[in-house]
Amino acid sequence: MPYLGGEETVRELRRALSNPNVQSDQLRYRNTILKVIRAMSQGVDMSGLFSEMVKACATVDVVQKKLVYVFLCSYAALNPELSLLVINTLRKDCQDPNPMVRSLALRNMTNLRLPSLVEYVEQPLAAGLRDRAACVRRVAVLGWAKLHNLQASSEIDAAVVNELYSLLRDPDPVVMVNCLRALEEILKDEGGVAINKPITHHLLNRLKECDIWGQCQVLRVLQRYRPQSEDELFDILSLLDASLVSPHPPIMAATLSLFLSLCSGQPAVSLAALERVRGPLLAACGSGSREMRFTALCHIQLLLRSIPGLMGAHYKRFFCGYAEPAYIKQRKMQVLVELVNDENVAMLLDELKGYCTDVNAETAQAAITAIGRIGRSYSDRCLEILTGLLGLKQDHITSAVVQTMRDLVWVCPQCSDTVCFALEGCEETLQDSQGRQALLWLLGVYGERVSSAPYTLEVFIDGVRSEASLGVKMELLTATMRLFLCRPAETQDMLGRLLHYCIEEETDMCVRDQALLYYRLLHCGIEETRKVLQGRRSDPSLGVLIGRPAEPVSQWARSFNTLEPLRQGSIETESVSRGSPEHTMFDPKPNADLSNTLDCSRIEKVHSECVRCPTIPRCSPQSLQAAMQLVNIQTLAFTPPQTLPWRVYLYTHTCLDDAPHSTLILGELLYTGEEPQKAEVHKGSADGGVGAEGIEDDM
Amino acid sequence: MIGGLFIYNHKGEVLISRVYRDDIGRNAVDAFRVNVIHARQQVRSPVTNIARTSFFHVKRSNIWLAAVTKQNVNAAMVFEFLYKMCDVMTAYFGKISEENIKNNFVLIYELLDEILDFGYPQNSETGALKTFITQQGIKGQVSKTKEQSQITSQVTGQIGWRREGIKYRRNELFLDVLESVNLLMSPQGQVLSAHVSGRVVMKSYLSGMPECKFGMNDKIVIDKQGKGGASDDAGKSDLGGGSGKQSIAIDDCTFHQCVRLSKFDSERSISFIPPDGEYELMRYRTTKDIILPFRVIPLVREVGRTKLEVKVVIKSNFKPSLLAQKIEVRIPTPLNTSGVQVICMKGKAKYKASENAIVWKIKRMAGMKESQISAEIELLPTNDKKKWARPPISMNFEVPFAPSGLKVRYLKVFESKLNYSDHDVIKWVRYIGRSGIYETRC
Repeated sequence: MPYLGGEETVRELRRALSNPNVQSDQLRYRNTILKVIRAMSQGVDMSGLFSEMVKACATVDVVQKKLVYVFLCSYAALNPELSLLVINTLRKDCQDPNPMVRSLALRNMTNLRLPSLVEYVEQPLAAGLRDRAACVRRVAVLGWAKLHNLQASSEIDAAVVNELYSLLRDPDPVVMVNCLRALEEILKDEGGVAINKPITHHLLNRLKECDIWGQCQVLRVLQRYRPQSEDELFDILSLLDASLVSPHPPIMAATLSLFLSLCSGQPAVSLAALERVRGPLLAACGSGSREMRFTALCHIQLLLRSIPGLMGAHYKRFFCGYAEPAYIKQRKMQVLVELVNDENVAMLLDELKGYCTDVNAETAQAAITAIGRIGRSYSDRCLEILTGLLGLKQDHITSAVVQTMRDLVWVCPQCSDTVCFALEGCEETLQDSQGRQALLWLLGVYGERVSSAPYTLEVFIDGVRSEASLGVKMELLTATMRLFLCRPAETQDMLGRLLHYCIEEETDMCVRDQALLYYRLLHCGIEETRKVLQGRRSDPSLGVLIGRPAEPVSQWARSFNTLEPLRQGSIETESVSRGSPEHTMFDPKPNADLSNTLDCSRIEKVHSECVRCPTIPRCSPQSLQAAMQLVNIQTLAFTPPQTLPWRVYLYTHTCLDDAPHSTLILGELLYTGEEPQKAEVHKGSADGGVGAEGIEDDM
Repeated sequence: MIGGLFIYNHKGEVLISRVYRDDIGRNAVDAFRVNVIHARQQVRSPVTNIARTSFFHVKRSNIWLAAVTKQNVNAAMVFEFLYKMCDVMTAYFGKISEENIKNNFVLIYELLDEILDFGYPQNSETGALKTFITQQGIKGQVSKTKEQSQITSQVTGQIGWRREGIKYRRNELFLDVLESVNLLMSPQGQVLSAHVSGRVVMKSYLSGMPECKFGMNDKIVIDKQGKGGASDDAGKSDLGGGSGKQSIAIDDCTFHQCVRLSKFDSERSISFIPPDGEYELMRYRTTKDIILPFRVIPLVREVGRTKLEVKVVIKSNFKPSLLAQKIEVRIPTPLNTSGVQVICMKGKAKYKASENAIVWKIKRMAGMKESQISAEIELLPTNDKKKWARPPISMNFEVPFAPSGLKVRYLKVFESKLNYSDHDVIKWVRYIGRSGIYETRC
């Protein structure tokens, strides 16, 4: 960060630091150093003063020492040679009678992070392990971990590792926990500390002595332990029972995590443990600090996957407060949706209805989506609320409602009548592209039942020139085509105009090619067109909310008490904005997310084959691509459009939440463009689980 | 574990940055600023993921504290740690503000050095930390040199929160029961949710290594004693007095490190060796049988499109001998308000256009009283069809009793080595109930 007077300040401070008058007056010397640190923390580059500061390090004044160390640790990496000078002072300090000075020296010696200094550091560190003051041992133990981190390649002496193991029996609990931490890092390649029976029992017995952080660490390490007998298992469980209901959320969560890993073979015990933590978890949900509330909510969502009824009676605890931040409100709504049952549905919907008019547009939309989810099992009540919301004539609300209705109709076809009736007139308030896309989709699919559908489409077609959104144009094309199939007389003229515009004037290739595709399709005859365009209108098999089977705990036990549950929801909120429901059911998640969860070792190549498609209608590569995107085949990479043979790499994947493994299908498409046009599809299907699944090629 | 800690001001300027592990690069500081602090939209989540690095943040007034890590850590623990960090800083230099952080930055670096080592939390007890820290917060006043020489006895001892050899001429104990009562009430007067979160804060100035025992009207204890037939002092020590409730059910509670949890688990008695000076002995929460000090009865009537009539009645619901203080009722008004006429029987009410609310302040109010405000709000005609969301009416107050009904039954001090007994200790008990989020929908 640029700050004024950087150069000038450095020069002035150097003069002051090397002034013998200042050096002799302790207070003035200290104040000058203070100024250096202040400038450093403001972002001024102070590395030029390194040699002066090294000199200032040799002092008996602890305060000054500390200040100098702060400086040295931040600039040591830039001056490895000069740092050698500090080592002498530091090593001398390690012999100091004051334990605080010893620990300070040891800590900063390891904080310098210079590989060249390792040889000088090892001896004082080894001595530090045997120091009589606990605070020195604490530092020394972690020092070895830092050393290992500095040179991951070199082996740490086996004698040191043994000494660290023996320090697990140190009277000071922090030393014990630090030993665990250090061994975890040093022995990372071997899978961490060896957790055997004596160590486990020792750690469990001393758990109470540790502070929160220590307990969390111990509980986490113990997850690797496998009890040898059932008796031992239950002994451990009853010992840990107190921590399971601990009022500290971190300890409670760590204990539950340990329970789940210990009882992985006994689902009944795990479920009992989940029941037991209900109280503490609910308490954490009502805690004063919003971040903790958020964390607790995310974890409750995990629990609900296995025991949907766990919080049923406490649904009121998840009502949103007015001043709560949007992220908590959205999580709470997600939980509320899970908790709905015959008794509380009226109360819940009433509450959710209140959130629909929230000032924050995102919260309002989340509330509307939540009502839509409940609508899968209580469609009448929800549709009543949704139609009521349309009366508010607010663009963000109307948009969310129309999108929700579209998703609802896809799952519950019986709602379509009410939805079709409600659609009339809402095109005036719709502003954003997502909402208009949803409206167009509905008009296309249920065109015959919405009397004003052609007029609405006509307004859109008249304004297509000024339309900015690509999605809306594509959806408009499809909708008009579909409407043409059921109401040809009213639509023919405008379809002609639309196709003409899109083919002749439109500059975007995707739209143009889609229009061309439809144009050629129409040439093939009306029956052919019908076959392509009129697919399914709904997919009731996606399942109603209530009857959803409870997942086994092992599905999510691994991710409990980590960062994962906190991340999941944010993806969900992003996927609220999307295209037609046909696409969303595959739940296309962003690419980056995929690479996070994919573990190459777990992918087995199931089969790869080569298919030849002899007949393919003459069309451009772009339109092929657009057509494939419609069926959720995504492009990975492709050669420039004009080259022949044209190659494209494709992938598609399923990410169903309840499937144990997801399938990823990779493919290569070769478009030779030669006379009898040929396209080759190499299919390589990689599957983490069951069996191979082929893809139907819609080309 | 925690790879680094950053503190920013509201503009996103870095006030403090401390990196503990090499995997956190220098650009991490900027990544958080650009993606979160300078992002236009509201904060999406307290955990942000940027380039495979997780940033956990909490905000105190307009200061951002962010913990950074590359590992898949226990989220609850990191947040708990950040809270602890805030507590420690508050204990040293008061409110966390830009000014205070800038003035105390050396102290903060020193604290960060002691609290975390290589990203692992080490020592986070304010009392025990004091011996390691050379700097003084602007609040601090005691000279530390003497204490430092005694460090050897402290670092080897089992009790991390108290050093030996403390002497006071007057042994005194101050005990504050501080509660904040939260309420969400429907317009019809139905309680949607209510809970009290309370703290027992103590200041102890006791010599030696005293053993303390603290008793309150916890339902489980009272019931147990009731069975034994010796429940004589339950109703006796009526120091607060919201109602004649005998015992309370505590939903959950946390204790200061010094409390022997095993004893609490087995016999539910709270015994401890107290730290010296001020500390929070316990924190608890109750949800049952809460005494709601005030009831707000709102009445909003829309007269045509350009006028609103609001009438709010507040009723105090506690002993007439007690006085509530600093009462403030905040009645939200629509955005298009053009003018407001207010009539109130008590206190002062004012329309604050900048806050879109009528603020009604009453200095004092006795129990079992009732007061009323009525206002006429004139609205500008707008073509905005957006319906007014009607935010809830919120209230602030302070009452001299514990809304949860908690009462201190006893606090005994035993010190076997020095010659003072429980009777020689001067004890002070005080109850303060404050409003948390106290809202009534209208």
